Amino acid sequence: MSAPNLLELHNISKSFGALTALRDLSFHIGTSEVVGLLGDNGAGKSTTVNLISGIYKPTSGYLSVDGQKTLFTCRLDSADAGIETIYQNTALVDSLSITRNIFMGRERTDAFGFLKQAEMRDIAMEVLERAVHISGIDSPDKLVGDLSGGQKQAVAIARAVFFKRRVLLLDEPTSALSVRETEALLAQVLKLKAEGVSSVLVTHNLYHAYQVCDRFVIMSHGTKVFDVNKADTSISQLTEYVVLT
Amino acid sequence: MTYAMTDSAVPKSRTKKQSLLKQIMTMPAGAILLVFATLQIVCIAGALAYPDDFRYLSPQNLTILMKAIPVLGCLALGAGILMIAGEFDLSIGSVYTLTAVLMASLVDGGMSAFIAAPLGILLGVMIGLLNGTITLRFGLPSFIVTLGGLLFWRGAVLLYNGAVQVRFDPEPAFSSLFAGTLLGINAAFIWIVLFVVGFYLLLHRHKFGNHVFATGGNPAAATAIGINTDRVKLIAFAIAGGMAAVAGIIATARVGSVQPGQGAGLELQAIAACVIGGLSLRGGRGSIIGIFLGVMLIHTITDVLLLLRAPGFYLDMFIATLIVVAAAFNHLIERRGAA
Repeated sequence: MSAPNLLELHNISKSFGALTALRDLSFHIGTSEVVGLLGDNGAGKSTTVNLISGIYKPTSGYLSVDGQKTLFTCRLDSADAGIETIYQNTALVDSLSITRNIFMGRERTDAFGFLKQAEMRDIAMEVLERAVHISGIDSPDKLVGDLSGGQKQAVAIARAVFFKRRVLLLDEPTSALSVRETEALLAQVLKLKAEGVSSVLVTHNLYHAYQVCDRFVIMSHGTKVFDVNKADTSISQLTEYVVLT
Repeated sequence: MTYAMTDSAVPKSRTKKQSLLKQIMTMPAGAILLVFATLQIVCIAGALAYPDDFRYLSPQNLTILMKAIPVLGCLALGAGILMIAGEFDLSIGSVYTLTAVLMASLVDGGMSAFIAAPLGILLGVMIGLLNGTITLRFGLPSFIVTLGGLLFWRGAVLLYNGAVQVRFDPEPAFSSLFAGTLLGINAAFIWIVLFVVGFYLLLHRHKFGNHVFATGGNPAAATAIGINTDRVKLIAFAIAGGMAAVAGIIATARVGSVQPGQGAGLELQAIAACVIGGLSLRGGRGSIIGIFLGVMLIHTITDVLLLLRAPGFYLDMFIATLIVVAAAFNHLIERRGAA
């Protein structure tokens, strides 16, 4: 590959006291690429996600963004690098409106910190209409608690899209979704890929991953055991690696 | 209306077409507003029909109401913002007394009330910060930490002052600022209205308020998005302590003295007002107007029962019922929201 990779992990290890969660983990995410990060429970997937999103700091090893060596010390660092994490239980607040959720922590305000409510509402409306085609959301004033699982994911994705993210980290995105919502979400991932946004699909549902991913990284016991392009593998081989390593 | 919803399999929005009544009920303070408005209409109608027996609209009664509401109002605003952030402060009743005693005794010793009052507020803020620091640092339930605070500061009042009342005799300018009247309206009531407006702007129109709701509603999400939830909670604790001190100042200026036992039970009334006003005990839900309506409702009911010469225990029973009904109602709304 000629251009530097969007995001690279170099020999990352992470320990929590005596527990070693990640050992010498290296992999990369290219531009406009959907990577499936697979592995059984306890393989270290969630630790990896938290590390890439800046919540954990690696014990050793480093990250690079566009070939530049970097360290994320907090969530905002990874946000600045264009990484948005969409969590298992989507990081949304049920008791707030869609607009307020989209701008949570990144509010548009005047010089005194007062919210520019109309401006934020208009933007939320536009993002929901144009960027994310998830059905049933007719107003950005709706409370997120009134939405279905898929609609919540859509709001989280809309947030990522609006803030011009380059990498979406989707942590078990389909676990709470209906079949139809899952299809819509996977279609959304492909649509974003066509627009140049990479995604990392963290899941242990191999079928969902196989549907959309270009490449698979399989983890076991805190390290990478397999890294393969979709063209060079099959779902049964992937299953074997997840189960047997 | 060109929404991106052309798919015929779109599920119909559940909250699209609703009656006006239902819309009001789903507003953050809608239910309490209905109850309050109904009560007011009944009271005013009763007062007009029986002006001699039910003196609800008499100037004396309105003045009593306007004097009573600000004290609980200040306490409830502070406690409420903290509850929305997901924590409790049971010590505000004791802090209210402690700061009032401090201020009154400082003025008694010759200090200007204009210096003593800010010192009292500062003490309240410091105690709030202490509560918050202990709670967050050791990961304890704030309920327990501030229960400790309630007893500790209640004892501290007796240690500092003994069980005697303290006279509060400030300069006339101070008295008229907090206990005078402006255009026939009680000064304390003007203060509480200003506080309500200020808190409304802070909680519903300011970035900080959005962070308070996020912190109380889903701490994990707030952290994940980059909000410093500990900082938000600490500020909320400080506000609760500071507002307890403000309540102490307003009450003391009105009465002209402080009783060391006067704050007992006020923390629970403040939390009751918040619950009646639609705040969730789990945080993340509520509104400033709801808190204020909760306070006004408690005082209106108190007042009506007094006007009807009902024995005092009816009052406790009535408020108790109101709290439980309000909590049950809020819980129903939350469950609907989470469905």
